[in-house]
Amino acid sequence: MNQGVLLCKLDDLPDNSSRGFLPDAQGQDTVFIVRRGSKLYGYSDVCPHYGDTALPWKKDVYLDAGGDYIVCAAHGALFTPDTGECVKGPCRGDFLTPLKITVTAEQDVVLLCESRGKEQ
Amino acid sequence: MNIIGPDLLIFGVDDVEACKQFALDYGLTQASEHRFVALDGTGIDIYSKDDSCLPAPLETGSSIRKTIYGVADTATVDAIYDELSKDREVKRLDDGSIEAVDDMGFVLGFQVTMRKPLDMPAEKINAPGAPAQRPANETGVSKDFTPEPRTLSHVVYFVPDYKKAEAFYAERLGFITTDRFSHVGPFMRPAGTTDHHTLFFLNTPPHMKGIEHFTFHMSGPTTVVQAGNRMVEKGYQSFWGPGRHIFGSNWFWYFKSPFGCNMEFDADMDLHDDNWDAREALPGADNSQVFLLQYREKWAPMGPPPPKG
Ligand code: FES
Ligand SMILES: [Fe+2]
Repeated sequence: MNQGVLLCKLDDLPDNSSRGFLPDAQGQDTVFIVRRGSKLYGYSDVCPHYGDTALPWKKDVYLDAGGDYIVCAAHGALFTPDTGECVKGPCRGDFLTPLKITVTAEQDVVLLCESRGKEQ
Repeated sequence: MNIIGPDLLIFGVDDVEACKQFALDYGLTQASEHRFVALDGTGIDIYSKDDSCLPAPLETGSSIRKTIYGVADTATVDAIYDELSKDREVKRLDDGSIEAVDDMGFVLGFQVTMRKPLDMPAEKINAPGAPAQRPANETGVSKDFTPEPRTLSHVVYFVPDYKKAEAFYAERLGFITTDRFSHVGPFMRPAGTTDHHTLFFLNTPPHMKGIEHFTFHMSGPTTVVQAGNRMVEKGYQSFWGPGRHIFGSNWFWYFKSPFGCNMEFDADMDLHDDNWDAREALPGADNSQVFLLQYREKWAPMGPPPPKG
Protein backbone atom coordinates (compact mmCIF):
# COMPACT_ATOMS: atom_id res chain seq x y z
CA MET A 1 0.00 0.00 0.00
CA ASN A 2 1.21 3.45 -0.88
CA GLN A 3 1.16 6.15 1.73
CA GLY A 4 -0.84 9.03 0.31
CA VAL A 5 -2.07 12.51 1.05
CA LEU A 6 -5.77 13.18 0.62
CA LEU A 7 -6.14 16.29 -1.54
CA CYS A 8 -9.87 16.56 -2.23
CA LYS A 9 -12.90 14.73 -3.55
CA LEU A 10 -13.12 14.11 -7.28
CA ASP A 11 -16.26 16.26 -7.36
CA ASP A 12 -14.17 19.21 -6.14
CA LEU A 13 -12.39 19.17 -9.51
CA PRO A 14 -14.77 20.15 -12.33
CA ASP A 15 -13.79 19.12 -15.83
CA ASN A 16 -11.10 21.38 -17.37
CA SER A 17 -10.38 22.99 -14.02
CA SER A 18 -7.14 23.33 -12.13
CA ARG A 19 -6.49 23.50 -8.43
CA GLY A 20 -3.52 23.87 -6.10
CA PHE A 21 -2.89 22.04 -2.82
CA LEU A 22 -0.51 21.73 0.11
CA PRO A 23 0.42 25.38 0.71
CA ASP A 24 3.84 26.24 2.05
CA ALA A 25 4.56 28.66 4.90
CA GLN A 26 3.94 31.65 2.61
CA GLY A 27 0.54 30.29 1.63
CA GLN A 28 1.53 29.33 -1.91
CA ASP A 29 0.47 25.88 -3.06
CA THR A 30 3.20 23.35 -3.76
CA VAL A 31 1.34 20.89 -5.99
CA PHE A 32 -1.51 21.21 -8.45
CA ILE A 33 -3.92 19.12 -10.47
CA VAL A 34 -5.47 19.71 -13.88
CA ARG A 35 -8.57 17.70 -14.73
CA ARG A 36 -9.34 16.70 -18.31
CA GLY A 37 -12.42 14.51 -18.50
CA SER A 38 -11.71 11.43 -16.42
CA LYS A 39 -7.97 12.14 -16.36
CA LEU A 40 -6.15 13.95 -13.58
CA TYR A 41 -2.68 15.36 -14.15
CA GLY A 42 -0.68 16.31 -11.07
CA TYR A 43 2.52 18.34 -11.00
CA SER A 44 4.82 20.03 -8.56
CA ASP A 45 4.04 23.74 -8.55
CA VAL A 46 7.52 24.74 -9.63
CA CYS A 47 8.37 26.42 -12.91
CA PRO A 48 11.43 24.89 -14.61
CA HIS A 49 12.56 28.39 -15.73
CA TYR A 50 14.27 29.14 -12.41
CA GLY A 51 13.32 25.89 -10.68
CA ASP A 52 12.36 27.78 -7.54
CA THR A 53 9.09 29.65 -8.07
CA ALA A 54 5.44 28.66 -8.35
CA LEU A 55 3.37 29.07 -11.50
CA PRO A 56 0.05 30.83 -10.96
CA TRP A 57 -0.70 34.54 -10.59
CA LYS A 58 -3.66 33.72 -8.42
CA LYS A 59 -4.56 30.69 -6.34
CA ASP A 60 -5.78 27.79 -8.51
CA VAL A 61 -5.34 29.65 -11.83
CA TYR A 62 -2.97 27.32 -13.65
CA LEU A 63 -4.64 27.32 -17.08
CA ASP A 64 -4.76 29.94 -19.83
CA ALA A 65 -8.08 31.62 -20.68
CA GLY A 66 -8.93 28.96 -23.27
CA GLY A 67 -8.07 26.12 -20.90
CA ASP A 68 -5.59 24.69 -23.39
CA TYR A 69 -2.28 25.13 -21.59
CA ILE A 70 -0.83 25.30 -18.13
CA VAL A 71 0.71 28.77 -17.73
CA CYS A 72 3.55 30.09 -15.64
CA ALA A 73 2.43 33.64 -15.04
CA ALA A 74 5.90 35.02 -14.29
CA HIS A 75 7.00 35.03 -17.93
CA GLY A 76 4.17 33.33 -19.75
CA ALA A 77 5.63 29.84 -20.24
CA LEU A 78 3.03 27.39 -21.63
CA PHE A 79 2.96 23.68 -20.78
CA THR A 80 0.82 20.92 -22.24
CA PRO A 81 -1.45 19.61 -19.47
CA ASP A 82 -1.01 15.92 -20.31
CA THR A 83 2.78 15.76 -20.61
CA GLY A 84 3.90 18.84 -18.65
CA GLU A 85 6.22 19.82 -21.49
CA CYS A 86 6.97 23.51 -21.91
CA VAL A 87 6.07 24.32 -25.51
CA LYS A 88 6.53 28.09 -25.36
CA GLY A 89 8.45 30.44 -23.10
CA PRO A 90 11.77 30.58 -21.29
CA CYS A 91 11.98 26.88 -20.37
CA ARG A 92 10.87 25.52 -23.76
CA GLY A 93 11.57 21.78 -23.93
CA ASP A 94 11.71 21.36 -20.15
CA PHE A 95 9.07 19.47 -18.19
CA LEU A 96 7.06 20.10 -15.07
CA THR A 97 7.72 17.43 -12.44
CA PRO A 98 4.81 14.95 -12.60
CA LEU A 99 3.21 13.51 -9.49
CA LYS A 100 1.30 10.28 -9.06
CA ILE A 101 -2.34 10.92 -8.33
CA THR A 102 -4.93 8.25 -7.72
CA VAL A 103 -8.67 8.28 -7.17
CA THR A 104 -9.92 5.77 -4.62
CA ALA A 105 -13.17 3.85 -4.70
CA GLU A 106 -14.52 6.49 -2.30
CA GLN A 107 -13.74 9.19 -4.92
CA ASP A 108 -10.90 10.56 -2.83
CA VAL A 109 -8.17 12.24 -4.86
CA VAL A 110 -4.91 11.12 -3.30
CA LEU A 111 -1.35 12.19 -3.94
CA LEU A 112 0.89 9.15 -3.68
CA CYS A 113 3.83 10.15 -1.54
CA GLU A 114 6.38 8.00 -3.35
CA SER A 115 6.03 10.33 -6.31
CA ARG A 116 7.10 13.42 -4.38
CA GLY A 117 10.70 14.47 -4.59
CA LYS A 118 11.53 11.59 -6.89
CA GLU A 119 14.10 13.73 -8.71
CA GLN A 120 16.46 13.55 -5.74
CA MET B 1 17.34 63.78 -26.84
CA ASN B 2 15.01 64.96 -24.12
CA ILE B 3 13.20 61.66 -23.56
CA ILE B 4 11.64 61.67 -20.09
CA GLY B 5 10.58 58.06 -19.64
CA PRO B 6 7.92 55.53 -20.51
CA ASP B 7 4.44 57.06 -20.83
CA LEU B 8 2.51 53.97 -21.82
CA LEU B 9 2.94 50.24 -22.28
CA ILE B 10 0.51 48.59 -24.67
CA PHE B 11 -0.31 44.94 -24.05
CA GLY B 12 -2.06 42.27 -26.07
CA VAL B 13 -3.14 39.67 -23.51
CA ASP B 14 -4.79 36.28 -23.23
CA ASP B 15 -7.36 37.20 -20.57
CA VAL B 16 -8.46 40.84 -20.83
CA GLU B 17 -10.85 40.81 -17.90
CA ALA B 18 -8.31 39.24 -15.55
CA CYS B 19 -5.73 41.85 -16.57
CA LYS B 20 -8.16 44.71 -16.05
CA GLN B 21 -9.08 43.47 -12.57
CA PHE B 22 -5.41 42.96 -11.77
CA ALA B 23 -4.61 46.53 -12.87
CA LEU B 24 -7.38 47.90 -10.63
CA ASP B 25 -6.28 45.81 -7.66
CA TYR B 26 -2.70 46.96 -8.25
CA GLY B 27 -4.01 50.47 -7.74
CA LEU B 28 -4.27 51.90 -11.24
CA THR B 29 -7.35 53.88 -12.24
CA GLN B 30 -9.39 53.04 -15.30
CA ALA B 31 -9.28 56.07 -17.61
CA SER B 32 -11.01 54.56 -20.66
CA GLU B 33 -12.03 51.17 -22.00
CA HIS B 34 -8.45 50.03 -22.48
CA ARG B 35 -6.37 52.44 -20.39
CA PHE B 36 -5.33 52.15 -16.73
CA VAL B 37 -3.29 54.98 -15.29
CA ALA B 38 -1.19 56.08 -12.34
CA LEU B 39 -1.61 59.42 -10.58
CA ASP B 40 0.41 61.31 -13.20
CA GLY B 41 -1.51 59.85 -16.18
CA THR B 42 1.17 57.39 -17.33
CA GLY B 43 -0.06 53.83 -17.56
CA ILE B 44 -0.88 50.74 -19.54
CA ASP B 45 -3.31 49.85 -22.32
CA ILE B 46 -4.90 46.40 -22.16
CA TYR B 47 -6.17 44.77 -25.37
CA SER B 48 -6.94 41.23 -26.42
CA LYS B 49 -3.92 39.69 -28.12
CA ASP B 50 -6.09 39.26 -31.23
CA ASP B 51 -7.11 42.93 -31.44
CA SER B 52 -6.37 44.13 -34.96
CA CYS B 53 -5.53 47.67 -33.82
CA LEU B 54 -2.35 46.45 -32.16
CA PRO B 55 1.09 46.46 -33.75
CA ALA B 56 2.21 42.93 -34.68
CA PRO B 57 3.67 40.92 -31.80
CA LEU B 58 7.27 39.87 -31.51
CA GLU B 59 7.89 36.45 -33.07
CA THR B 60 7.98 35.02 -29.54
CA GLY B 61 4.41 36.17 -28.89
CA SER B 62 5.35 38.29 -25.86
CA SER B 63 2.40 40.32 -24.58
CA ILE B 64 4.18 43.68 -24.89
CA ARG B 65 3.07 45.23 -28.17
CA LYS B 66 4.39 48.76 -27.89
CA THR B 67 6.35 50.98 -25.51
CA ILE B 68 5.53 54.66 -25.82
CA TYR B 69 8.05 57.15 -24.50
CA GLY B 70 7.11 60.61 -23.33
CA VAL B 71 9.40 63.36 -24.53
CA ALA B 72 9.70 67.04 -23.62
CA ASP B 73 8.31 68.71 -26.74
CA THR B 74 7.50 68.37 -30.43
CA ALA B 75 11.04 69.38 -31.33
CA THR B 76 12.24 66.21 -29.58
CA VAL B 77 9.66 64.11 -31.44
CA ASP B 78 10.94 65.62 -34.68
CA ALA B 79 14.57 65.03 -33.74
CA ILE B 80 13.84 61.37 -33.01
CA TYR B 81 11.95 61.14 -36.29
CA ASP B 82 14.96 62.48 -38.18
CA GLU B 83 17.42 60.27 -36.36
CA LEU B 84 15.51 57.01 -36.75
CA SER B 85 14.49 57.78 -40.34
CA LYS B 86 18.13 57.42 -41.32
CA ASP B 87 17.88 53.65 -41.38
CA ARG B 88 14.28 52.57 -40.79
CA GLU B 89 10.68 53.40 -41.43
CA VAL B 90 9.21 55.88 -38.96
CA LYS B 91 5.44 56.37 -39.05
CA ARG B 92 3.70 59.56 -38.08
CA LEU B 93 0.42 58.67 -36.40
CA ASP B 94 -2.75 60.77 -36.29
CA ASP B 95 -2.26 61.66 -32.64
CA GLY B 96 1.03 63.41 -33.43
CA SER B 97 3.21 60.62 -32.10
CA ILE B 98 5.72 58.65 -34.14
CA GLU B 99 6.29 54.91 -34.28
CA ALA B 100 9.33 52.84 -35.17
CA VAL B 101 10.86 49.47 -34.35
CA ASP B 102 14.06 49.20 -32.33
CA ASP B 103 17.02 47.00 -33.28
CA MET B 104 15.62 44.02 -31.35
CA GLY B 105 12.12 44.25 -32.86
CA PHE B 106 10.29 46.02 -30.03
CA VAL B 107 7.77 48.58 -31.31
CA LEU B 108 8.38 52.04 -29.87
CA GLY B 109 6.34 55.21 -29.89
CA PHE B 110 7.38 58.74 -29.02
CA GLN B 111 5.00 61.50 -28.03
CA VAL B 112 4.99 64.76 -26.17
CA THR B 113 4.61 63.35 -22.69
CA MET B 114 1.12 62.92 -21.34
CA ARG B 115 2.35 62.89 -17.73
CA LYS B 116 1.00 65.57 -15.42
CA PRO B 117 3.43 67.13 -12.98
CA LEU B 118 2.93 65.66 -9.51
CA ASP B 119 3.15 67.77 -6.38
CA MET B 120 2.88 65.56 -3.32
CA PRO B 121 5.18 64.51 -0.50
CA ALA B 122 7.16 61.29 -0.37
CA GLU B 123 6.58 58.88 2.45
CA LYS B 124 7.89 60.70 5.51
CA ILE B 125 10.17 59.24 8.13
CA ASN B 126 11.52 60.47 11.44
CA ALA B 127 14.99 59.62 12.71
CA PRO B 128 16.96 60.82 15.72
CA GLY B 129 19.33 63.58 14.74
CA ALA B 130 17.41 64.59 11.66
CA PRO B 131 14.72 67.24 11.41
CA ALA B 132 11.29 65.66 11.83
CA GLN B 133 9.59 64.92 8.55
CA ARG B 134 6.37 64.21 10.41
CA PRO B 135 5.80 66.76 13.13
CA ALA B 136 4.20 65.99 16.47
CA ASN B 137 0.81 64.29 16.18
CA GLU B 138 1.13 63.38 12.50
CA THR B 139 0.87 59.59 12.39
CA GLY B 140 2.79 57.51 9.89
CA VAL B 141 0.55 54.62 8.91
CA SER B 142 -3.04 53.50 8.89
CA LYS B 143 -4.83 50.23 8.27
CA ASP B 144 -6.96 52.15 5.80
CA PHE B 145 -4.89 52.04 2.68
CA THR B 146 -5.44 52.59 -0.99
CA PRO B 147 -2.45 51.87 -3.21
CA GLU B 148 -1.67 54.85 -5.40
CA PRO B 149 0.98 54.12 -8.01
CA ARG B 150 2.41 57.50 -8.92
CA THR B 151 4.10 57.06 -12.26
CA LEU B 152 5.23 54.39 -14.68
CA SER B 153 8.78 53.68 -13.57
CA HIS B 154 10.50 51.16 -15.79
CA VAL B 155 10.21 48.27 -18.17
CA VAL B 156 12.56 45.31 -18.47
CA TYR B 157 13.09 43.32 -21.65
CA PHE B 158 14.61 39.93 -22.30
CA VAL B 159 16.87 40.52 -25.30
CA PRO B 160 19.08 38.14 -27.27
CA ASP B 161 21.96 40.64 -27.61
CA TYR B 162 22.22 43.24 -24.83
CA LYS B 163 25.19 44.95 -26.47
CA LYS B 164 23.16 45.62 -29.58
CA ALA B 165 20.22 46.76 -27.46
CA GLU B 166 22.38 49.04 -25.34
CA ALA B 167 24.03 50.53 -28.42
CA PHE B 168 20.69 51.34 -30.02
CA TYR B 169 19.29 53.12 -26.99
CA ALA B 170 22.59 54.91 -26.24
CA GLU B 171 23.61 55.95 -29.71
CA ARG B 172 20.25 56.57 -31.35
CA LEU B 173 18.13 57.79 -28.43
CA GLY B 174 20.65 59.22 -25.99
CA PHE B 175 20.03 56.82 -23.09
CA ILE B 176 22.76 56.65 -20.44
CA THR B 177 23.94 53.46 -18.74
CA THR B 178 23.89 53.93 -14.96
CA ASP B 179 25.04 50.46 -13.84
CA ARG B 180 25.39 47.01 -15.34
CA PHE B 181 25.40 43.33 -14.52
CA SER B 182 28.27 41.63 -16.32
CA HIS B 183 27.19 39.57 -19.33
CA VAL B 184 23.54 40.26 -18.49
CA GLY B 185 22.81 43.84 -19.38
CA PRO B 186 22.72 47.53 -18.49
CA PHE B 187 20.38 49.69 -16.47
CA MET B 188 19.62 52.76 -18.59
CA ARG B 189 17.98 56.11 -18.14
CA PRO B 190 16.98 58.50 -20.88
CA ALA B 191 18.54 61.99 -20.78
CA GLY B 192 15.33 63.65 -19.60
CA THR B 193 15.18 61.93 -16.20
CA THR B 194 17.51 61.37 -13.28
CA ASP B 195 15.85 58.07 -12.30
CA HIS B 196 18.44 55.30 -12.02
CA HIS B 197 16.69 53.29 -14.71
CA THR B 198 13.60 53.33 -16.85
CA LEU B 199 14.94 50.42 -18.89
CA PHE B 200 16.92 47.28 -18.10
CA PHE B 201 17.95 44.40 -20.33
CA LEU B 202 18.43 40.75 -19.47
CA ASN B 203 20.46 38.82 -22.01
CA THR B 204 18.63 35.59 -22.80
CA PRO B 205 18.22 33.13 -25.69
CA PRO B 206 16.25 34.51 -28.66
CA HIS B 207 13.14 32.43 -27.91
CA MET B 208 12.67 34.43 -24.68
CA LYS B 209 12.65 37.88 -26.26
CA GLY B 210 9.92 40.02 -24.71
CA ILE B 211 8.89 41.77 -21.54
CA GLU B 212 10.20 40.51 -18.20
CA HIS B 213 8.44 42.97 -15.89
CA PHE B 214 7.16 46.51 -15.55
CA THR B 215 6.75 48.76 -12.54
CA PHE B 216 5.21 51.89 -11.14
CA HIS B 217 6.79 54.09 -8.47
CA MET B 218 5.04 54.21 -5.11
CA SER B 219 5.44 56.91 -2.44
CA GLY B 220 7.92 54.93 -0.35
CA PRO B 221 8.91 51.59 1.15
CA THR B 222 5.84 51.33 3.36
CA THR B 223 3.44 51.74 0.47
CA VAL B 224 5.36 49.14 -1.57
CA VAL B 225 4.94 46.65 1.25
CA GLN B 226 1.39 47.69 2.08
CA ALA B 227 0.34 47.49 -1.57
CA GLY B 228 1.99 44.08 -1.94
CA ASN B 229 0.45 42.83 1.28
CA ARG B 230 -2.93 43.84 -0.05
CA MET B 231 -2.29 41.94 -3.28
CA VAL B 232 -1.49 38.79 -1.31
CA GLU B 233 -4.64 39.26 0.77
CA LYS B 234 -6.62 39.44 -2.48
CA GLY B 235 -5.19 36.08 -3.55
CA TYR B 236 -2.44 37.25 -5.89
CA GLN B 237 0.89 35.49 -5.72
CA SER B 238 4.25 37.01 -4.98
CA PHE B 239 7.15 36.27 -7.31
CA TRP B 240 10.03 38.03 -5.56
CA GLY B 241 10.03 40.33 -2.58
CA PRO B 242 9.59 42.47 -0.72
CA GLY B 243 13.21 43.53 -0.71
CA ARG B 244 15.57 46.29 -1.66
CA HIS B 245 17.73 46.27 -4.76
CA ILE B 246 21.34 47.38 -4.69
CA PHE B 247 21.62 48.95 -8.14
CA GLY B 248 19.08 51.76 -8.00
CA SER B 249 18.47 51.23 -4.25
CA ASN B 250 14.79 50.81 -5.04
CA TRP B 251 12.49 48.80 -2.83
CA PHE B 252 10.71 46.10 -4.80
CA TRP B 253 7.95 43.54 -4.66
CA TYR B 254 7.21 41.55 -7.82
CA PHE B 255 3.95 39.73 -8.50
CA LYS B 256 3.12 37.22 -11.17
CA SER B 257 0.32 38.58 -13.30
CA PRO B 258 -2.09 37.62 -16.07
CA PHE B 259 -0.08 39.93 -18.37
CA GLY B 260 2.39 37.14 -19.12
CA CYS B 261 5.11 38.95 -17.20
CA ASN B 262 5.73 40.11 -13.66
CA MET B 263 4.35 43.39 -12.36
CA GLU B 264 6.35 45.15 -9.66
CA PHE B 265 5.82 47.85 -7.07
CA ASP B 266 8.90 50.01 -6.51
CA ALA B 267 9.89 53.05 -4.50
CA ASP B 268 12.77 55.26 -3.48
CA MET B 269 15.03 54.85 -6.48
CA ASP B 270 18.42 56.55 -6.70
CA LEU B 271 18.77 59.57 -8.94
CA HIS B 272 21.79 60.15 -11.13
CA ASP B 273 23.16 62.86 -13.33
CA ASP B 274 26.06 63.00 -15.74
CA ASN B 275 28.59 63.03 -12.88
CA TRP B 276 28.01 59.34 -12.23
CA ASP B 277 30.27 56.51 -13.32
CA ALA B 278 28.42 53.31 -14.07
CA ARG B 279 29.24 50.43 -11.74
CA GLU B 280 29.50 46.83 -12.82
CA ALA B 281 28.74 43.75 -10.75
CA LEU B 282 28.39 40.05 -11.32
CA PRO B 283 24.76 38.96 -11.56
CA GLY B 284 23.27 36.77 -8.87
CA ALA B 285 21.39 36.80 -5.61
CA ASP B 286 24.03 38.55 -3.55
CA ASN B 287 24.32 41.54 -5.87
CA SER B 288 20.60 41.79 -6.64
CA GLN B 289 19.34 42.88 -3.23
CA VAL B 290 20.53 44.06 0.16
CA PHE B 291 17.85 41.93 1.76
CA LEU B 292 14.89 39.81 0.76
CA LEU B 293 11.86 39.32 2.98
CA GLN B 294 8.89 37.06 2.62
CA TYR B 295 5.19 37.38 3.27
CA ARG B 296 3.62 36.00 6.37
CA GLU B 297 -0.01 36.22 7.31
CA LYS B 298 -0.62 38.86 10.01
CA TRP B 299 0.27 37.47 13.41
CA ALA B 300 1.02 38.82 16.86
CA PRO B 301 2.68 37.46 19.98
CA MET B 302 -0.02 37.81 22.59
CA GLY B 303 -1.10 36.52 25.96
CA PRO B 304 -0.42 33.22 27.71
CA PRO B 305 -0.15 29.85 25.97
CA PRO B 306 -3.50 28.61 24.64
CA PRO B 307 -5.49 26.43 27.05
CA LYS B 308 -4.71 22.71 26.79
CA GLY B 309 -7.47 20.79 25.08
S1 FES C 1 9.51 31.65 -13.87
FE1 FES C 1 8.05 30.53 -15.06
S2 FES C 1 8.26 31.40 -17.04
FE2 FES C 1 9.80 32.43 -15.87
FE1 LIG D 1 12.17 46.43 -11.59
